[in-house]
Amino acid sequence: MTAIDLSIRAAAAEIALIGVTKSYDAKNTIIPPIDVTLRPGEFTVVLGPSGCGKSTLLQMIAGLERVSSGKIVIGGREVQDLEPKHRGCAMVFQNYALYPHMTVAENMAYSLKVAGVSKAERAERVGTVAKMLGLADYLTRKPSQLSGGQRQRVAIGRAIIREPGVLLFDEPLSNLDAQLRHDMRVELAELHRRIGATSVFVTHDQVEAMTLADRILILNKGHIEQFDTPKAIYHHPASVFVAKFIGSPPMNILEVEGDGSVLRLADGQVVANYSAKGKFQLGIRPEDIAVNEGGSIKTEIRYREDLGSHEILETKIADQNLRIAMPFGVEIDTTQTLSLSFPQARLHLFDGETGRAIANAFGDAHSAPVKEYQ
Amino acid sequence: MSSESSLFSHRWLPALLLAPLMLLIVLFFYVPVFQAFYWSFFLEQPFGGGSEFVGLQNFQRVLSDPEFWGATGRTVVFMLTASSLAVVVPLMLAIAADRKIGMSYPARNILVWPKGIAGASIGVVFAFIFNPFVGLMAPLNSLFPGLWNPGIDGTDAFITLVSAHVWSGIPFNFVILLAGLRSIPPTMYQAAAMDGAGPWRRIFDVQLPLIMPQLFLTFVLEFTESITSVFALIDTITGGGPGGSTTLLVYKIYVDGFRGFDLSGASTQTAILMVFVLLLAACQFFFIGRRINYER
Repeated sequence: MTAIDLSIRAAAAEIALIGVTKSYDAKNTIIPPIDVTLRPGEFTVVLGPSGCGKSTLLQMIAGLERVSSGKIVIGGREVQDLEPKHRGCAMVFQNYALYPHMTVAENMAYSLKVAGVSKAERAERVGTVAKMLGLADYLTRKPSQLSGGQRQRVAIGRAIIREPGVLLFDEPLSNLDAQLRHDMRVELAELHRRIGATSVFVTHDQVEAMTLADRILILNKGHIEQFDTPKAIYHHPASVFVAKFIGSPPMNILEVEGDGSVLRLADGQVVANYSAKGKFQLGIRPEDIAVNEGGSIKTEIRYREDLGSHEILETKIADQNLRIAMPFGVEIDTTQTLSLSFPQARLHLFDGETGRAIANAFGDAHSAPVKEYQ
Repeated sequence: MSSESSLFSHRWLPALLLAPLMLLIVLFFYVPVFQAFYWSFFLEQPFGGGSEFVGLQNFQRVLSDPEFWGATGRTVVFMLTASSLAVVVPLMLAIAADRKIGMSYPARNILVWPKGIAGASIGVVFAFIFNPFVGLMAPLNSLFPGLWNPGIDGTDAFITLVSAHVWSGIPFNFVILLAGLRSIPPTMYQAAAMDGAGPWRRIFDVQLPLIMPQLFLTFVLEFTESITSVFALIDTITGGGPGGSTTLLVYKIYVDGFRGFDLSGASTQTAILMVFVLLLAACQFFFIGRRINYER
C-alpha cells in the first residue's frame, strides 16, 4: 500500500449500552438487558447465529430501531432517543443499499449534501475517499454498472466520508464470493487501522470475527455469552455455546460423569482425572487430541476428509461424535483401531447443566480463569 | 420462443383462443377508427342516402370553426389540470399509505373501491355533492350567496368535473404507485436515514426517483385517458354547460354527431382527436420515457 494522506480520520467515540432491552411484546423479548462498553477506536465483532439479536442490537445503536428500555451512550452523549443523523454513526448494509438512481460520487456525497456541505468541499472529500478505496475511475457510474466488490466499496465510502465516530457494519461481506470476501476483509482491517473509528461489525461468520476483531462479542438469544479477544475466546471459551461456535471444525463436546476421582464416558472409559462428582461436559479441540501415542481410549474411524493441509477423522466414542484433526504428513491406517488420549492441559470443562466453563478445572496455566466481559 | 411453442404444439389452438378477443378489438376499435378516418374525407347525408368525397373540405370546415378551438382549448386545460391532480392526489395517498401509520392497512383497501363504480354513476353522485342548494357547498352559499353554482358559473362546473375525474382516477393510480413504493427495499430508507435525510427529504431524494417508471406510466395513461373518459362525467354532471364551458372535444364530437347529425364533422374531429392523442403519447415516450431509469 502506498502512503496516502490520512485526511479521513475519525474522532473515535466510546459506545456504552446500559441495560438495553428490546422486545416487541410481552412474550417476544429479542434482547434481555445488555450492559457492555465498546472502547473508543475498538473493532468489535458481534457474532452469533441467525436470530440471536445481533442485527437488532446494531440497529438500536444506529437509531433505526428504538430501544424498549435502557440507555445508549455514544461519546458521552445519551442517544437512545435521538434520530439516526444525530448519533454520529454511519452504517454499511448487507445488500449495500446504494441509491440506484445516483452515481457513485452522488451516493458517497449524499450525506454531505443533506448536511449542507458546499459543492466544492463535497467533490474534494469524494475525491479523497474514492482514492482511498480505489474508486476514482468509477465516480460517474451508476451502482448497477459496478461489480459486487466495487458496490461494497462505495457503501463503505458512503459511510466513512462523514468521518463518523462510529462505523456500523451489518454483515457487509455476506453477499460476496469467497475470494472477494477475503480481500475485503484485509481491506477493512487496513481501513480500520487508518480511520480509527469505533467499529461494530455484525456477522455470523467466525472467520470474519477471528480475523477482524479486537474483541468478539458472542451473542446467544440476545444475551452475551462472552466478550473477549479472539485469542481468549478460542482458547478459553466461557461456555459450551462459544466452544461449539468458534473453531473449524468446532470443539468436541462429550458428556462425562465425575465419580470423585476421574471423569468417565457413558461406557465407563476414563478420559481425565477430576476430583468432583456430577455431570459435566468435556471439551477438546479436534487438533488437540493425541492419536496413537499410547492413549487408552479406543475408537474406529468412520469417515475421513482430506483437506490437503490437514485431515479430519470422524469417530465415535461412547456413542458421541468425535472429530480429530490430523496434521499433514501423519499416516494413519484407517482400518485399525485408534488409541486416543486427551492431554489434560488441552481439556475444557463445562458445567453439565448451565454449560458455563469451570475455570482452572485441571489446574494448569492453559485453563486460566476466563475473563468476564466488561 | 422455443419453450413457448413447446407449450402450445398446436398451430391453430393459440389462434382459436385469441380469436374472440381479436374479433372484439377489430369490431369495436379498429373498424370504427378506420370508419372515422374514412368518413372525415366524405360528406355524409344526415338521413342516409349516399356520401360524396370532398377531400379536405371537412378539415377546413372544422379547423376554421371557433367552437372547435374552444373545445380543444378546454380539453387541453382539463387534460393538464385533471390528469396532474389525478396522479398527484393518489401519489400523496400512496406515500401516506406506504408508511406504517395508523389506518394505513384499511386505507390501502378502501382507496381501491371507487374502481368498481361506473363513470356515469360517479357523475350522478358528484352532481349531487356539488349541488349548490343541497350539496357540500350549500352552507357556504348561504353565507356568501352566489359563491358556488356550477349550473351558472362555468368555472364552478369545470371544477366539479375535475374533482369527479380526480376521484374516479384514485384507485388505479393509487394501486400502481403504491406497488412502486412497496417495492423499494426498506434498507434504502434506512440508508437515507443514516445519511441524515428526514422523511420529507427521503420522499424527494429516494422515493420519487425510484418510482419514476410507475409515475411515468400513470401520467401517460392519465393524459391519454382523461381526454376520452371524461365523457360520462360531462354527460351526467353538466351536459356540456353552462354555456358550453364544459364542452370538451370528446363531448362536442358526440353532440355534433348524434344531436346535430353532422356525421362528417364529428368523424373529422374524431380523427383529429385520435392523432392528437397518439402524438401526445409519442411525445411523452420520446422526451421523458427514454430518460427514465428502470434499474433497481
